[in-house]
Amino acid sequence: MADEFEITDEMRAQIGVDSEPWTYEVTTTSVRMYARGIGTEDPIHYDVDFAKSQGFRSIVAPLGYLGTPVYLPGQNDPTFGFPRRAGGPRLNIPMKGLLDGGTETEYLDVICAGDVLVETSHLADLKLRDSARGKMLFITNESVYKNKETGQVVAKQRLTSIHY
Amino acid sequence: MAEVAKSVITDEMHAAIGKEGPPTVLEVEKTNCRMFARAVGHTDAIFFDEAAAKARGYRGIVAPPGFLGTPIFRPGGAAGVPGEMGGRGFSVPYKRVLNGGTDYEYFPDAPDGDVICAGDAITARTKIVSFEETEGSLGPMLITKRETVYTNQHGKIVAKMYGTVIQY
Amino acid sequence: MAQVHFEDVKEGDEIPQLKKNCSTQQLVLWAAGSGDFYQIHYDKDFAQATGLKGLIVHGALKNAFLGQLLHDWIGEAGQVRRFGCSYRGMDEPNQDILCRGVVTKKYSEGGKHFVELDVWTEKPDGKKTSPGTALVTLPSKN
Repeated sequence: MADEFEITDEMRAQIGVDSEPWTYEVTTTSVRMYARGIGTEDPIHYDVDFAKSQGFRSIVAPLGYLGTPVYLPGQNDPTFGFPRRAGGPRLNIPMKGLLDGGTETEYLDVICAGDVLVETSHLADLKLRDSARGKMLFITNESVYKNKETGQVVAKQRLTSIHY
Repeated sequence: MAEVAKSVITDEMHAAIGKEGPPTVLEVEKTNCRMFARAVGHTDAIFFDEAAAKARGYRGIVAPPGFLGTPIFRPGGAAGVPGEMGGRGFSVPYKRVLNGGTDYEYFPDAPDGDVICAGDAITARTKIVSFEETEGSLGPMLITKRETVYTNQHGKIVAKMYGTVIQY
Repeated sequence: MAQVHFEDVKEGDEIPQLKKNCSTQQLVLWAAGSGDFYQIHYDKDFAQATGLKGLIVHGALKNAFLGQLLHDWIGEAGQVRRFGCSYRGMDEPNQDILCRGVVTKKYSEGGKHFVELDVWTEKPDGKKTSPGTALVTLPSKN
């Protein structure tokens, strides 16, 4: 029951344990769709020739877009798209409500269409708070994205989800 | 065919029949093939998994039936969506529009044809095939039929789309 | 499904049916997959303001369902040569859409083996909403 939920030692033991890697692809169509979704009109995100004239490999992924995870039916969550993979945290969460608690992204390089990234993530933090709505569980994950070709880390992300 | 009170087909429209419009480029990539396949509910791995597609003899992930690539989006400009509802172009006094239907034809056989796969850049060229006027339960209607030919980056024909738009 | 061959098929045969039932979420996935963001497919207020009773399923999605119907039947060695439909009746989310096909003609030409079909989607009451046709090639056992 959500009201009786407590964070256990078993859950805490999963903090810091890296998942299996997953491939995230940055394509011209997906970069443009993300840019279009934000509503930006900067040609750096749409026009390949323009982006190259500015010294980039191809159109630039808008801030916040770190590629689309390879989607394989049965292996990705059908609503959120994230890969259900071996090595990821296994938490039985009884709360039905879910909100995005926020995302922080650190960039170490520019990400462009044509890039193939390999991502691993781990559970970084678990916090339980009481509120007027009942117990609220804050789960923070950290992800590291590496360029598949160069092996260099290009971005890191810290994401928090709120379960209530 | 019922007589229509007044034809909305102008000389300009007549002259356009059979003439190819400007080409549009569509990109076929892994991400958009998978998105289309996921939306339809396909289960065949060749639409999602590159290794599975190659094991079956394809160059890469296969475009699902009905998927011909994503047009290059330009903000602030015409989206340039060819086919289905695109390229209506002419000004006619009918406010409402219906998609009357679409047929897809494929040309998978080498050497002149090919299967559409991720990595392809497809060029689409559309021409109007016919204008037809009729009177039905919705009142006077203009039925426009278009044909779009799709060729890939190697000049091979990969598909044709036949579209019907009903304005009334 | 085991690979179907040209010899297995005769005129009048019905191919295995494909049942679909679109959630509103699927209609949003289709908007993303097709690039058609027309609001009558996901914004109920908008749909009703245009005179519709509620959200409707994109015609092109039903057409793509017929593509899946054919793709799943022909197997790895078959090829879809032509398919399509007319968008006659409207379908709504959260209701069964049954995709069906019947063989109308089979013939061999130029070393290839062709099968023509009538294909369509129908509502639970049997009303056909998207009638169409298809042409496929199948492998021969010989």
